[in-house]
Amino acid sequence: MSLLAVTGIRKSFGPVDVLHGVDFKVDAGEVVGLVGDNGAGKSTLMKIVTGMYSADAGDVALEGESILGKTPGERRALGVEMIYQDLALARQQDVAANIFLGREPVRTLMGMKFVDRLTMKRQAQAMIDRLGAKLPAINRPVGSFSGGQQQSVAIARALTFNPKIVIMDEPTAALAVREVQGVLDLIRQLREEGIGVILISHRLNDVLSATDRIVVLHHGRAAANLTTAETNMAEVVSAIVGGSDMVEAAAHEARA
Amino acid sequence: MPRKTPTAMFGAAAVAMMLVAGPAQADGEYGILMKTLANPFWGAMGQGVEDGAKEAGVDYFMQAVESDQAAESQLNVCNTMLQRNPVAMITAAISSTNLLPCLKSAQDAGIKIVDLDGNLDPAILEAEGIDITFRIGSDNVLAGAQGAEFMVSQLGADATGPVLVIEGLSGNITGQMRAEGFAERLGELAPGLEIVASLPGDWDRGKAANITNDILTRNPDLVGIFAANDGMALGAVESVFAAGKGGEVVIIGVDGNSDAVKSIQDGRLTASVAQLPYLVGKQAVETVKMAVEGEEVEESIIVPTLVLTKDVMDAGTEPLLEYVK
Amino acid sequence: MASTEPRVKLPARGLWSRVQARSIEQLHIRLESLVVLIALAMLMAILSPFFLSVSNFLNILLATSTIGVLAIAATFVLSSGGLDLSLGSVLGLSGVVGAAVAVKLGAPMPIAVLATIGAGALAGLVNGLIITRAYVPAFIVTLGMLGIARGLALIISDGRVIYGLPQAMVYLGQGRPFGIPMPVIIFIVTAIVMHVVLAYTRYGRHTLAIGDNENAARTAGINVDFHRLTLYTLSGALAGLAGLLFATRINSGDPTAGITYELTAITAAIIGGTNLFGGRGSILGTMIGALIMGVLQNGLNLLAVQSYYQQMAIGAVLILAVFIDQFQVRKESRV
Repeated sequence: MSLLAVTGIRKSFGPVDVLHGVDFKVDAGEVVGLVGDNGAGKSTLMKIVTGMYSADAGDVALEGESILGKTPGERRALGVEMIYQDLALARQQDVAANIFLGREPVRTLMGMKFVDRLTMKRQAQAMIDRLGAKLPAINRPVGSFSGGQQQSVAIARALTFNPKIVIMDEPTAALAVREVQGVLDLIRQLREEGIGVILISHRLNDVLSATDRIVVLHHGRAAANLTTAETNMAEVVSAIVGGSDMVEAAAHEARA
Repeated sequence: MPRKTPTAMFGAAAVAMMLVAGPAQADGEYGILMKTLANPFWGAMGQGVEDGAKEAGVDYFMQAVESDQAAESQLNVCNTMLQRNPVAMITAAISSTNLLPCLKSAQDAGIKIVDLDGNLDPAILEAEGIDITFRIGSDNVLAGAQGAEFMVSQLGADATGPVLVIEGLSGNITGQMRAEGFAERLGELAPGLEIVASLPGDWDRGKAANITNDILTRNPDLVGIFAANDGMALGAVESVFAAGKGGEVVIIGVDGNSDAVKSIQDGRLTASVAQLPYLVGKQAVETVKMAVEGEEVEESIIVPTLVLTKDVMDAGTEPLLEYVK
Repeated sequence: MASTEPRVKLPARGLWSRVQARSIEQLHIRLESLVVLIALAMLMAILSPFFLSVSNFLNILLATSTIGVLAIAATFVLSSGGLDLSLGSVLGLSGVVGAAVAVKLGAPMPIAVLATIGAGALAGLVNGLIITRAYVPAFIVTLGMLGIARGLALIISDGRVIYGLPQAMVYLGQGRPFGIPMPVIIFIVTAIVMHVVLAYTRYGRHTLAIGDNENAARTAGINVDFHRLTLYTLSGALAGLAGLLFATRINSGDPTAGITYELTAITAAIIGGTNLFGGRGSILGTMIGALIMGVLQNGLNLLAVQSYYQQMAIGAVLILAVFIDQFQVRKESRV
């Protein structure tokens, strides 16, 4: 049984068919790269997995049980986390508020439930420390942080509640070289802890170095399912562009 | 320590302020609370109060609020004025009820209360147990009736045709009294004149002009317009003249303000029932002084209104003309 | 030692900065606004011999109570990134409904009180339903409700003040247990409860998060539409409470009550540090904002300054408050 099994997912927005029957699997402790050209349907597919979009047809199962009927909040509680490209941070709130957004611990006092700020701060600090991230202060609005620091907060949020699967949407796109290495190290660490990872990225070098398997989306279908150890840049690029102009595209990618 | 500082600061400041004893005395001051000074009517009344106070040699302080709709704000100002312990409060209430709590406190403090311009309702005052020293003002129902009388004098008692009434702000008692006074007397004197519409112009010149336009479209044979104040009457004048019906429609306003006087002299507005606010303000102060000094005063003083027309102004013999500002 | 708070040290920037940071974190207020309030009070005390007295202080609180309750509503909606322009009209409508139920139908006091607040909540619910179900912008919906509620108030009351509420109701507006006006007590209790809700409950924290980044709130599993619906309903209910205070204070339902109050309420919230575009706001801050306006008005009244100047002064304070705030935010983001 796979950790996450996506079968026959279809989705259209009005007249535009984005996904026509995507099959896709991730095992525990497996890192799967999800690549494809712009508009291939990667983001739509992941939003269907997290529950932000509903699917027209098909199923999404976590550990064998369908989660399609569940809200985004319920899916998070089951262990499906996503780190968005725009990070989805509340910029005027502090680190703890962002990490615990939507699942704040509460203390009951005279029949009323109050947010437990102390616990939040302590756990947030512990998670930031575990990630080895450097933040100017934990009680400041995250909007005052640098891009890399904000990313640390977004990652900390995804990891705080013992996720089973973490989806990362372009986690390295806006980072400096040194920070990219940190993210790739983190992915390997997650694999060792038995967490499934889906890595969406345009940086094929990163994908080739960090993943176990690469799924290529093309025109709303899973066009290729490659084992990373047995493939190379040219093959991946060829699948992305749909077989034609393979040499030229690969050459372009190599130059880049 | 640092985290307690803001609370501590606030607490200390609050305690320091509480320790200071009650308000200081300011003997003999008259508190005057107007609606607003932002229109010629209230401006003239304020001027009358000022001149009256100077002539009588009394101290006064005058307050007004930002608009004649700021009912609660006027109540708050009224409460604040009591802090200065005036001997009398001369109040022009925005509604018949908005100042009630303040007037009660004033009464408890032994402050004489004057209803300037007759905005308070005697029945409500009695229910609340508030005794005012006197009320002074024009009778708004009578002003409306005078307007009707003048209209009938122009058109004839057997005249027929549609008439438009432009009321004040929806919910405002003054406008309602004027409009009702007009309608009632018109019905008595000239049943053939039919009020085809009675609409709120919200004291707004532009709105009154629009209403007049609309009704002229429906009733091109309109013979008369009564507006609950001059501003709206002047708006109606513009629409009537723009429709090419200048001189064919009798247009009457209320207040007798300077714009209206000018328009009457130009032969555009037919008449205005002048309220003589200057005289109201002046007499109010003079009468309060008498009451404070222990003299008996009448409980209800009605300052007469005057129908201003071109003829009256050209003749210049009417004694009340002096008070038309 | 290393594990507890190694990187959480507040930047060592002197006592003022530290107190500032603490007051935001612990009390959710900006210290500047408190300083402005105290300075203003001291100035008025120097300028007017009538300012410093218990009765005048109660006066200020009494004068602030209606607008203060409305400003609480404005703070909740604004900090969620929303807007409620119908507050003043809903206040007027609620007061008229309450007065009509009490006077014309002769209902007992608890029913009339419920009707007053319920009328406000219902208007707010309608706002919320249209905003969250029909996706009409809040500005438009509440602007429409501004007209609808006012018109309805005039229709129900036939354009006239409905006078003569039952004594038990009037007590809410005019009673003075222990010498403290009832509206002041209701206002302060409401403010404390709502402060706790906004600052210390999940509901309140989610309100701020939605105003900060709606998308982030959605991905965090917050039911944003339902949350907004409850916020507009809450806003309407608070406007109803303000309408109750207004009506019982003057012993009548006045259909013209509360015209332009929404703008005053929003002004108080913003002077108190609420972000007009959402994500930041606190009820304590708003109370300080409302009191700054109250003290300013009271002081200028005591000095017999014409009302025209008062409007200018409040306008200037509003701009100044937002200027100081922007300055602070920029300073912070330079860390």
